[in-house]
Amino acid sequence: MLYVAKRIAISLVLVWVVATVVFLALHMVPGDPAEVLLSTGGTSPDPYAVAELRERLGLDRPIMVQYGEFIARLARGDLGTSLVDDYPVAEEILLRLPRTLELILAGTLIAVSIALPAATYAAVHAGGAFDRAASAVAAILQALPVFVLGTLLILVLAQWLRWMPAGGYVPFAQDPGRHLLLLLLPAVAVAKGLAATVFRMARAAVLEQLSRDHVRTARAKGLTPRRVVRRHVVRNAMIPVTTVLGLQMGTLLGGTVLVEFVFNWPGLSTPLLRAVETRDYPMVVGIVLTVSGLFLLINLAMDLLYAVLDPRIARS
Amino acid sequence: MQVKRLILPGAMVAFIVLLALLAPVLPLPDPVRQDVANRLAAWLPGSPLGRDEFGRDILSRIIWGARASLAVAFASAAIACLVGTTLGLLAGWFRGLAEFFAVRTADVVLCFPPILLALLVVTLLGPGTATLILVLSILYLPGFVRVTYAEVLSARGQDYVEAVRALGAPTPRILSRTVLPNIAGPVLVQFSLAVAAAVVVESGLSFLGLGVVPPTPSWGLMIRGARATMEQAPTYLLYPCLALTVTILAMNMLCDALRDAVDRKGGTRAPKLRAVDRILPGLFPTREPAPLLEVQGLTVDIATPGGAIRPVEDVSFAVRAGETLAIVGESGSGKSITATAVMGLLPPVAQVTAGVARFEGRDLLDLPEEERRRLRGGAIAMVFQDPMSSLNPVHRVGDQVAEAIRAHRDVSAAAASQEAVELLKRVGIADPERRARAYPHELSGGMRQRVMIAMAIANRPRLLIADEPTTALDVTVQAGILDLLAQLRRETGMGVVLITHSLGVVAETADEVVVMYAAQVVERGTVAEVFARPLHPYTRALLAAVPEGDAEPEGIPGVVPRPDAWPPGCRFAPRCSFATPICERPQVLEQAGERLVRCIRWKDLA
Repeated sequence: MLYVAKRIAISLVLVWVVATVVFLALHMVPGDPAEVLLSTGGTSPDPYAVAELRERLGLDRPIMVQYGEFIARLARGDLGTSLVDDYPVAEEILLRLPRTLELILAGTLIAVSIALPAATYAAVHAGGAFDRAASAVAAILQALPVFVLGTLLILVLAQWLRWMPAGGYVPFAQDPGRHLLLLLLPAVAVAKGLAATVFRMARAAVLEQLSRDHVRTARAKGLTPRRVVRRHVVRNAMIPVTTVLGLQMGTLLGGTVLVEFVFNWPGLSTPLLRAVETRDYPMVVGIVLTVSGLFLLINLAMDLLYAVLDPRIARS
Repeated sequence: MQVKRLILPGAMVAFIVLLALLAPVLPLPDPVRQDVANRLAAWLPGSPLGRDEFGRDILSRIIWGARASLAVAFASAAIACLVGTTLGLLAGWFRGLAEFFAVRTADVVLCFPPILLALLVVTLLGPGTATLILVLSILYLPGFVRVTYAEVLSARGQDYVEAVRALGAPTPRILSRTVLPNIAGPVLVQFSLAVAAAVVVESGLSFLGLGVVPPTPSWGLMIRGARATMEQAPTYLLYPCLALTVTILAMNMLCDALRDAVDRKGGTRAPKLRAVDRILPGLFPTREPAPLLEVQGLTVDIATPGGAIRPVEDVSFAVRAGETLAIVGESGSGKSITATAVMGLLPPVAQVTAGVARFEGRDLLDLPEEERRRLRGGAIAMVFQDPMSSLNPVHRVGDQVAEAIRAHRDVSAAAASQEAVELLKRVGIADPERRARAYPHELSGGMRQRVMIAMAIANRPRLLIADEPTTALDVTVQAGILDLLAQLRRETGMGVVLITHSLGVVAETADEVVVMYAAQVVERGTVAEVFARPLHPYTRALLAAVPEGDAEPEGIPGVVPRPDAWPPGCRFAPRCSFATPICERPQVLEQAGERLVRCIRWKDLA
């Protein structure tokens, strides 16, 4: 319990640190932030617009007051309104977030359910044909940027073979079958990087566990090879893999932005990219904070899972 | 062998870098000159890969694109390397505030998903090459800080660094002369990882239209542009995809090879082969009751990169029911490998190349794996040296004992658990119901070994092999474990093979002893005889090394030779105080009364 409380406390501190860094980012930019946000290329912006933006973002007040208000509003879940259309940022995020989460979840499931068994089989038969083939595939997948894979999937499966739709979105309630069909390719693209990394890590972890003394004990007990691998190798190998999984989610979340763009999946990345282009600062901050918070939450979950998997952690 | 793996990816990366560097002098068309008349042409004279949607030459844009990608990647990796290494050096050397600042900064960066942090900075500064370099150097800073910091911390503690400090060398000089060369390897690896990762993120951001600003060619931008026309001109999409993927693949391979090379260099602890100790030879056992286990001429080879080595050579012995046979020898004599071979638990690199191991009449070495599995943990059980690592840390000990029961008998989980508790009680664990629910790390070393023994006797084995069962334990609990083994042997009538390097243990518990040295049996006989009148000089030396009363124990000079360098004649001769030129001849195991001894001079020395 102490461990859980500690992990949660650390996560809260990290959320606060992330929020503070995001707040400071605007003020660390050389020059007047409002002017910076409004400038496009070499031309200096309209002074009237600059003054208006300064007032709107509260930049005319002392920095500590701004910071205090920023944190207080965050605590209430108020992320401000878009500079472009005055729409509340939090509402836009709440609308989009479930779609992004769905994609992440589907991608993670695909990645883990393929990579783990493959890695186990490859490690148990290390040096065999499957091991070599799977390791080569993992290396190629790792080298294939997520947007390249996505684009190529569309080119081959949608444009040439016409097996799959090229992208888009239909709400689940409206047409469940079509919804899942449209989810498939983006989820595969999201899964790609994670699958490659999990495969490599899990393969190494399983190989390492195979040479451990307790595996020899398990064999000395006369357990079947299957049971030795399941209970004494895979179970233990999951411990280091969990850690990597948490850290890899950062890359996966970033990759999701690209995948959503490639497949026109209307998750968080649509408003994010539009906001980055139009320099809609509150919207960018809101989404960056949301996704970073999600990242920290996933890592917290991984830490807790880690404690479940490894009894030595929770009790020490 | 490691260096070989660097060549192919190294050459590929070098070729790509060279191409990018030479872009201005190669005879290429202007990558930004538009020619709308020839837009999306698949092939034109002077444009072997065709033209893009504005009629610009694709080959030229790919080569110039490499230049843009690599410039951004190398610049940002270099900045991250410089700043990160400096921060790490300061943090590791001065600790205190510098440490807090550097390490925490690195931690903060790691709180953000990389692309999101990049997009935040792009919003503030606008897209462009300068922004990209800034963002990427921030993203890869933590890696350098951490690597350098960790290396400095470990270098600080090393003797030679302490020595130059004690000589009064100024800090900057110590850092640059002694610490930097040490961290060069890991930093180089980190640099290669950063470059490879930067190429990925740069292309991703450019693909989103938020990285390199058009019309500057960039692979990410080209893929972005080609997406719109992929139906008409799919090859235009494929070329930049291919260029990008091959570049990243080559860089990743180079990173892997570099990392392996650096790890190899850093870890001077080459995997040590557990060598043999000495055991006693028992070629023609002639006692009445048929032996439970009879090992004859057992030979094990291990394949190593330098050729096969032979850690166990022509080893023979026999154990009868109710008896304890001790196999004694220093580390490296082959005693553990002998036991592992009998159990069929040798690692894949090790192979039994000759010999038989007859258990109740059946040759274990010749049985199908499935039948051996049924014997293991059933009729033949084993207890290992280190109970901490030999128990699975993530399962409760009661479950691990129950698992041994259920591997051999068809009983319910509940019944197995109940029986496990009884077994724990039988091996002398107090409060067995509660202990059964404990994890291995919650028990003491002695208790863990008792759990191992409970697991071993779960199916009433007829033979128990105990491989240094007390070596990893505190002296105070060693006697308890040995007593337990002796008591179980008396109660169950099982035969015991006890592997140990301590003759003291042998005297107390064993009936017969096999002394092993450098893969061979050098002496074999009953404990009473061997202790009263050791024939082999090595046995004598071992006995002299046992602390007894007030007499100062005598160590044996030198160490067991390595299995790849056995002396040609008597393997003990280099360390033997009785060695004469005749000892340079190979020695055979001779019958000496009831005993066997491998020493040409045993009669002279008797």
